[in-house]
Amino acid sequence: MAAVPLQAVFRRDFVTLLVLVDDEDTMEVVAQKVAHHVIQRRLPPQDAPMRVQYNNRILAPEQTVSQAGILPMSFVEVFYDA
Amino acid sequence: MPKLERSQWYDLCRDMNWSFKYVTEEEVFPEALSHSHGIQAAAWWDWDEPYKITYREYVHNQAEKEAGVYSVRSALARSKFFENLDPGWKAAMIAHYAVFAMPEYLATFGEARMGRFGRAAAWRNMALFGTLDEIRHGQIQLSFPHALLHKEPRLDWAHKAFHTNQWGAIVLRHLFDDMLTANDAVSIAIQLTFVIETGFTNLQFLGLAADALETGDVEFSTLISSIQTDEARHAQQGEPTLRILVEHGKKAEAQRLIDVMFWRGWRAFALLTGPAMDYYTPLAHRRHSFKEFMLEWIIKQFNDQFRDLGLERPWYWELFLQELDWLHHALHLGLWFKRRTLWWNPDAGVSVAEREWLEGKYPGWDKRFGTYWDTIAENVRRGHIDHTHQETLLVPCNMCQIPVCSPTVGVPPRQLTHKDRVYTFCSEPCRWIFKQNPARYAGQLSIVDRFLAGHIQPPDMKGVLAYMGLSPAEQGTDATNYSWAFEEPQAAAAVKLPQTAAALKVAS
Repeated sequence: MAAVPLQAVFRRDFVTLLVLVDDEDTMEVVAQKVAHHVIQRRLPPQDAPMRVQYNNRILAPEQTVSQAGILPMSFVEVFYDA
Repeated sequence: MPKLERSQWYDLCRDMNWSFKYVTEEEVFPEALSHSHGIQAAAWWDWDEPYKITYREYVHNQAEKEAGVYSVRSALARSKFFENLDPGWKAAMIAHYAVFAMPEYLATFGEARMGRFGRAAAWRNMALFGTLDEIRHGQIQLSFPHALLHKEPRLDWAHKAFHTNQWGAIVLRHLFDDMLTANDAVSIAIQLTFVIETGFTNLQFLGLAADALETGDVEFSTLISSIQTDEARHAQQGEPTLRILVEHGKKAEAQRLIDVMFWRGWRAFALLTGPAMDYYTPLAHRRHSFKEFMLEWIIKQFNDQFRDLGLERPWYWELFLQELDWLHHALHLGLWFKRRTLWWNPDAGVSVAEREWLEGKYPGWDKRFGTYWDTIAENVRRGHIDHTHQETLLVPCNMCQIPVCSPTVGVPPRQLTHKDRVYTFCSEPCRWIFKQNPARYAGQLSIVDRFLAGHIQPPDMKGVLAYMGLSPAEQGTDATNYSWAFEEPQAAAAVKLPQTAAALKVAS
């Protein structure tokens, strides 16, 4: 268990956020942690699953941060797969 | 004894230039402080300012200006003018004093450096007046807010801001250290007096003084007008310096200095002046939008000067023009969301009428930014104020230190690795500026770098606010206590806000 700070953007939001995740967090959890700062604050929720994009790849929801090789202060983008 | 006309003695007394015999040129004008760009000493002696003034005239003029400004302040001291100011205008004013007072003092260092290390006596003479100007500007912009402290304690930030780690203070210290305290005489003449003063603040102060008068803030208007007339005089140091560089084959170096500081100036201008013009200034008193001001005043003048001096527009010009449509709107949203980290109360500026004005001035604003404010207003009406604050830090650019905002989707921030450290930039020009001189900028820690390095304890927002020097009483809140969120939606707005009526019922 180790904290991993990320630079994160939720698609259609306007700013890059510092979001702390855990290296054992799955992408589903990472998406929720990023969405916490944006959805219902600046963007409305959607009835669709959220995905994480890293290095031009959309990661599987069950993949963890360490499995994906995401390093501290990497940039990730979260979006609704609608 | 008959008195000579000024034209009969001015040049003789001013031009105290001579060739050194007992010391070297380098000993008198070290390159690190002077930076001749290899241009011979005597060539600099052609330096000539367009507008001339003697010390006697200077003292006379300044004494009159001081008497005028302080008499207005005395006349208004017993009035209720401050209490009656619009909350948005107060925000602009409280922000202004902290943003300008200490940098004016830092500009004293810049002017004094030119006054000692400028390569021509005429230049050093003009810089001496500039030094005195900047001391005055620093002092007067501390004195005026100080006199209002009993009405608004946060005006103390006029002095305090630069002595804290508030994120905006980090932005400004980084900018002004680059431009003033850690700069050489030639670069200061070009980057401070040509780019920032001639290009941005001289015109900004003209507009600001007019806006203040329009809003009923006679004191602030008089103060700003008084400062502007000094700026107009000492800002003229840039043009003759540029002419000498261009005439001696150093156009590329001059262009690089301009390109660096125009971009840096633009970022700071978008952060501070953009929201003040388009969101804080009362709607009834807005004479133009920020974009119109930039196009009709700032850009027109820059274009004329670039052409006159044989220089080019900066290489990122098209990008800059695109940013006029969105950058300051995004930064305003960020400022408002992070209002607890500000020493003023930002005015959301999104009442129904203001939104219509914004859409008129920036077609597409409603679709691009209005939707954020719809969600925010909904939260306010439901009483979810906690959802209108950002619980984490915004990632700042490692060059300008301003949060990284992006108009694009799926485009990662521009990054660069230097000596095993990854740097993040808000834009290509910021990355370009860093690459010009990595050693100059690499050691700076952004607010996020400091957070991750453990400088901020406890490592949460409470710790962040304490680190920034903001007590609960100093932290910003919405300027109008969210009144804009409870306006009766008009027909056009109701279509865009389908949940408004239901939300109002819940809130009530």
